[in-house]
Amino acid sequence: MLHCFIRKCIIANFVMLMLAQVSYASSQNTTVVPSGIVSADQVVGKVLDSFGHPLAGVNISIRGKEGVVSTSNMLGTFIIDASTKSFLVFECPGYNVVEKHILKDRSLTVVMYETYLTKVNVEAVLYDTLSQEKRLGSISTVHTNQLTTTPGTLYLYALPGRLAGLYMQQTSGFRSSATTQNYNVDGFVGNIPISGTGVSSDNAEFAMRLRGQNPVTLIDGVQRDIYSLDPENIESISVLKDAMSTLLLGQRSSRGAISITTKRAEAGKPRISFTSQLGFQEPQGLQKPLSTYQYANLLNEARLNDGNTGLYYSADEVEKFKTGSDPYRYANVDWQNTILRDNAPLSRYNLNINGGTKTAKYSVSLNYTDQEGMFVNSDTNSYNTNSSLKRYLINADLSVDVTKNINVALQLFGRLQEGNQPGAGINTVVSDLLSTPNNAYPVTNPNKTWGGTSQRTYNLLSEVIGSGYIQDNSKDVMANIDLGYNLNDFVKGLSAKVKANLSIQSQNAISRVKRDLVYRLSEDYVKYTPYGSSNSQSNSFIPVSNSRYWFSQFQLRYDRQFGEHSLNAMLVADQRVVTLNYDLPGQTTNFSAKGSYNFKSKYFAEAAVNYSGYNRYMPGHQYGLFYAGGLGWELGKESFIKDNISWINQLKIRATYGKTGSGIDNSGYYIWRQTFSNDNDKAILGYMYPQGTSRSTGSGYREFDLANVNITWEKANKFDLGFDASLLNEKLMVTGDVYSDRYFDLLQTRGKSIALIGSTYSNENIGINRYQGAELSITYQNNYRDFNYFVTANFNLEQSKVLFNDEQYQPAKRLETTGKPVGMIFGYIADGFIQTKEEAGEAAFVAGYPLKPGDIKYKDLNSDGVIDDFDKAPIGSNKPLFYYGVTLGFNYKGFDFSTLLQGVENRTRYICNGDVDAGFRFGNNTFGQAYEQVLNRWTPETASTATYPRLTSNTNTNYSTSSFWMRSGDYFRLKNISLGYNLPYKIVHPIGLAGIKVFVSGQNIFTQAAYDLIDPEVAVNAYPLQRVLNVGINIRL
Amino acid sequence: MKNHYYIIFAFLLSGILNISCSNDYESVPLEKITIDFAFDKNDSIGSKASWFLNDIYSKLPEGYNSIDGNLLDAATDDAISIDEGVTTISKLATGAYSSINLISQDMKWADYYAIIRATSIFVNNIDVVPVKDTLTSGLNAKYAWKSEARFLRAYSYFELIKRYGGVPLMGDKVRKLGENVELPRSSFEDCVNYIVSECDAIKDSIWTSPIEDPFINSHRPTVGTVLALKARTLLYAASPLFNGGNIDPTNVLTGYTNTTPDLAYWKKAADAAKELIDLNAYALIDSFQNVFTTQNNKEIIFFRQRGNNHGIEDANGPIGFMNNAHGNGKTNPTQELVDAFPMNNGKAISDPSSGYNPAKPYINRDSRLRKTIIYNGCLWLSATIQTYIGGANNPIITSQSTTTTTTKTSYYMRKFMGNWEKSTQYGNVSHDWVSFRYAEVLLNYAEAENEYAGPTESVYQALKDLRKRSKILAGTDNMYGLNSGLTQDEMREIIRNERRIELAFEEHRYWDIRRWKIAEQVCNKPLHGLRIIKTSGIFSYTTTEVFTPIFTEKMYLYPIIYSEVVKNSNMKQNPGWDINK
Repeated sequence: MLHCFIRKCIIANFVMLMLAQVSYASSQNTTVVPSGIVSADQVVGKVLDSFGHPLAGVNISIRGKEGVVSTSNMLGTFIIDASTKSFLVFECPGYNVVEKHILKDRSLTVVMYETYLTKVNVEAVLYDTLSQEKRLGSISTVHTNQLTTTPGTLYLYALPGRLAGLYMQQTSGFRSSATTQNYNVDGFVGNIPISGTGVSSDNAEFAMRLRGQNPVTLIDGVQRDIYSLDPENIESISVLKDAMSTLLLGQRSSRGAISITTKRAEAGKPRISFTSQLGFQEPQGLQKPLSTYQYANLLNEARLNDGNTGLYYSADEVEKFKTGSDPYRYANVDWQNTILRDNAPLSRYNLNINGGTKTAKYSVSLNYTDQEGMFVNSDTNSYNTNSSLKRYLINADLSVDVTKNINVALQLFGRLQEGNQPGAGINTVVSDLLSTPNNAYPVTNPNKTWGGTSQRTYNLLSEVIGSGYIQDNSKDVMANIDLGYNLNDFVKGLSAKVKANLSIQSQNAISRVKRDLVYRLSEDYVKYTPYGSSNSQSNSFIPVSNSRYWFSQFQLRYDRQFGEHSLNAMLVADQRVVTLNYDLPGQTTNFSAKGSYNFKSKYFAEAAVNYSGYNRYMPGHQYGLFYAGGLGWELGKESFIKDNISWINQLKIRATYGKTGSGIDNSGYYIWRQTFSNDNDKAILGYMYPQGTSRSTGSGYREFDLANVNITWEKANKFDLGFDASLLNEKLMVTGDVYSDRYFDLLQTRGKSIALIGSTYSNENIGINRYQGAELSITYQNNYRDFNYFVTANFNLEQSKVLFNDEQYQPAKRLETTGKPVGMIFGYIADGFIQTKEEAGEAAFVAGYPLKPGDIKYKDLNSDGVIDDFDKAPIGSNKPLFYYGVTLGFNYKGFDFSTLLQGVENRTRYICNGDVDAGFRFGNNTFGQAYEQVLNRWTPETASTATYPRLTSNTNTNYSTSSFWMRSGDYFRLKNISLGYNLPYKIVHPIGLAGIKVFVSGQNIFTQAAYDLIDPEVAVNAYPLQRVLNVGINIRL
Repeated sequence: MKNHYYIIFAFLLSGILNISCSNDYESVPLEKITIDFAFDKNDSIGSKASWFLNDIYSKLPEGYNSIDGNLLDAATDDAISIDEGVTTISKLATGAYSSINLISQDMKWADYYAIIRATSIFVNNIDVVPVKDTLTSGLNAKYAWKSEARFLRAYSYFELIKRYGGVPLMGDKVRKLGENVELPRSSFEDCVNYIVSECDAIKDSIWTSPIEDPFINSHRPTVGTVLALKARTLLYAASPLFNGGNIDPTNVLTGYTNTTPDLAYWKKAADAAKELIDLNAYALIDSFQNVFTTQNNKEIIFFRQRGNNHGIEDANGPIGFMNNAHGNGKTNPTQELVDAFPMNNGKAISDPSSGYNPAKPYINRDSRLRKTIIYNGCLWLSATIQTYIGGANNPIITSQSTTTTTTKTSYYMRKFMGNWEKSTQYGNVSHDWVSFRYAEVLLNYAEAENEYAGPTESVYQALKDLRKRSKILAGTDNMYGLNSGLTQDEMREIIRNERRIELAFEEHRYWDIRRWKIAEQVCNKPLHGLRIIKTSGIFSYTTTEVFTPIFTEKMYLYPIIYSEVVKNSNMKQNPGWDINK
């Protein structure tokens, strides 16, 4: 605790010192209004940006009075003729419009704030920047403002609904950390070629799909799966969706990319921004358990349904649950209240410093995040058992022009994450919470020992606060050097760039786990019987993983304008070396060339090739050629539009097509070699065979899966057609894209995987899938006087289809996966409930499971009298997935407001969860929890209104995959809301600050779901989704 | 000056690009060994090759509670499972399976082909390894290993044909990805001949019986094991299901196509068993219950290692004991099995002269009953077992019970467990799975000989030996309760019953009722347990129906996995299991 306190003190002190230092510096500069003669009709003033720096080039006019204009100069000052009571209008691109009423005071200081939606002329593309007008590929971008309003630990929390083409589903409300030795090494080196298996990731909360694929992540141009950055440190996030935009990734170019640009150094006086915020997280979608009285009655009913004679709970016992007269033997514990807290804090501190001269620029970001989990803590422990995350981030960036032609940029990124969880593990606690009935045992006995029974030998509260803790640490260091050399003197337009990046990650965990006995009180309240086991606190160090990433890149570029011809060319060579734990380094090498040309900025052409290789394929088959090309036509510059239609500022049509690859992550680990494992291999266990009567260990060698000497990368032919329009004096921007991507050579098991071969078939390059879709983004920004408002929305349609997967004979078309959407769910078709004994006797049933009234009736689709796999049919949706996000807001007199509405349509979800929907799940000789859902069960009395099958505690077929459990997964969320207020300059300036902003924000405020008994995204057996309410302050110098 | 920059720049560049290019690592992962390492031309100990062989052993099924915690025998008329509702074992017992809805725990098609592949790899490659060790017989160890591999392969084929009939014979060829594996099934006859010819080919180039240095070798097959496999294979092949009773009379895949039994097959089976008996390497050991818990005793011919533990006790021991003595009572023997045990005078309890007293049903019974079954009133864990209704080991289930299930028949299984009668808790005991033992060979011989030659003296002798070991009284006529002058049919019933009780729970009954083609009779009617009521110290016994298995003709052979039939145009399904009929 002390250690933690000191750490916080150091951070706070550091911040305060910085503030003091700089505020002293800025207070020296008190002259706001330029000296000089001011006539009575003139207004003088100074325009400042949010950091109090002079803002040049601001247009100043008088409302309703044309012709009178002025512009702020380099010092931000202006003079304008204006009469009293007139309104001065301040306008500057990228800033919200400000109006000032001229009263007595004729010397003004005006602060202008940047618009919420950042408008940039030059945007980041892969390894480059490109002016928006030249772009032919499909890229969507969000900037800092749209990210920082989201209280969350990963920047991914801010992305749902923000970017066209990116579909996200949250799968957990909290991180899930690796705490086992050599974490999942076979998964992440890809011993098994499954697409999407990547390196260990810090994202355990979101499933992402960019146009249906799992995108590659780049941080400042380097491929690294880092997701836990603070949004405040991020300049922009782009998704690169088409072949042209990602081609330089070579063998990883198929999946699209998420490209993060962190805040980089900018010239100017120091800009210092400090943000502190505190959020409260509140779990959503918790299920409602039955009262013990209902539970006992319904369990009796379930057992009677199963044919058991005699009551499980006698009438006497049921009464005890009702009256609570015997709380130790007939407990009634609200476990959710017992082990969960109402809300848990999430606090974040962030400091950004940025500035420099033209020749030397710097930026430093510091960030501290402290997230606590939803579990209760105990005062009796001297340590924390609750799940938590503490994260320290530093990102420093220095850019120096060494000479006129040489630029050196150095970037250092460091991240320290410390996680904690109860010794029993978050997942165990969450699943035990779901399955432990309220009457399982009392929390504690009269003698203060843990309650428990012979079957439930681990007390749920003791799992939370009495099982010690597991701490996990991860350390990341990333160092980046960029050298830029301008060879203009040598060949006009020629320049070179070199990048070298080294990144190291080490993860380990400390396990201090313990366990206490649980006790069951005897009927006469005298004796305690112990159960379970008692283990004193362990202390073990677990090396989880160790990884090294090398990336180096050389670029030679040529940019030249010949009259109306503009030419860009780029040669890129790069190599990426990834070493995970003890496995051989995986080496990716790309040699690529890219060229673009345009004529009069009207006709555009672009092409790229990439010769890309990976060293884990068979020698001679390691390199492949990937290519892409694009064309564009700026109609807006053609005279038939430019001269005739004034409301069209830009109208560009663009198309790209290319052949991309998806290898590396699914290459497997040298699977072209037929290899044998020995018993030191962690992949396969249990094949040592004891020798003779001594049973001494006999080692074993086993043949691995069949070698695939032809293994190669998957490929895709991707086509994108889009347009960008800028209308109504650039107030309305519309971007639309349609795409058709054909993925082929997809790795899968061959159809004729006949078991006679005696081994496991490796995946081969077989399958073909197609993804098609359309995306539309619309942005409208305008102002009424100084009421600035905006709306930006994206709408997306996505449809996939299996074209080929080497399918073998199926007796019915409906059973074929070919021709249906990728990942289609197949199941029985439910047809109501069996209502009578006669009906039960007649209906077809699954072999071994004779029907009873109240069971789900399945359609016997092939009319053979039994229900089996051949009666399955597609039960998912054939409709294209539709998802959207709408961000809207305003800025008015220092107030700013934004909100994000986000939703999905045509989504189906399979809801059946044994604990929640069936209840009384049997395990370890006892019965599990049941929830209010089962109250709607079928009984002879409720036969006509029942929505759930009859109760049972045995296995039966009601919970087989069937259309009964398919529900609409459509939902609409008020995902994010944010309201901020910038304190007036005249208040903050005297105390030496440039600005203070206070704000409140919230995440997951309101959800409207088609099926609302569970959260539409996070499943009931995962750590629940959190609603976060957040307050914060931002101080700028 | 400018040139200097270029030089520096170029230098930096090449440095950066070269850093990662140095050869610090091997070009392929050498720890992932290839076949020339496993079968090393320079390995004179052959250690790596022997490790490859070890792995094949580890693929052998472990027996015991293999069907989701239940014994295979719980799917026969000998026992039922304590488990409630529909379970894997109840599906097996009621035929609730099909070619797309398999009971994977026993329908291990792919697993046996995996053994066949691995053994063929061994057979094809072991020759290059220059092993120097020899057995005491002078045989080079690698040829003994090669024969072990061939035995394991033949054994796998036997396990396949008893389940499926004729199956594809793979020969020695090991196929690579992309090679054609659309192979047809070989005829049943070819499969039997292949297994027998393999046994004949290896019996002289394998370990002798009893095995030398059992401390390190006892798990290996010997000549006795090879002969035992041959005898069992020929016995199965001669049995009614395949010999004269083919369920699809003209189908060479499902059996021989003769419509009346061919006694020549029985002769071969009897001769094979006799060959083993004549080795004089094996004997019945004195204590029946210790056969399974004593390592390397003279009765064991082959076993699968499972180690020292109390897993069998934990799974099958009676419920009602606490802590380390807690059992889950999985296997509940039926009244049918209990009634099959004769009195200790050797007479069946149905024989009026047997002296059987229904009021004291467990008095003076064949001692194997006590060694096989835990019943009401017997001693176990220093307690008198109470399986009467409401007794400690058969409680009435309520929320206060420590269990939600209890014996359905009033019986628990005793066989295979340690001698815990006078202990207070379970300890570790050798629980290897004995897959071949001498008692079975005697029974195989008696059965085949009786079918071929009738109840000869040697048939009687085999039975007498078994009965003598189980402490059945020899009687004044020294016939151990057997009547002299039995007809062949009467003797058949005696042998079958003897086999049932001697080999109970050893995964024999399940296959015996199939090859005898009596499953349709014995597994199509209700099975019984006992309801024991205790009133003022007196027990009253009533039999009660506990479970009704279902058996139809097609179940004599397992269905071949649907996917194997769909993917392989040459693969024929077994009769009655075709999906698209």
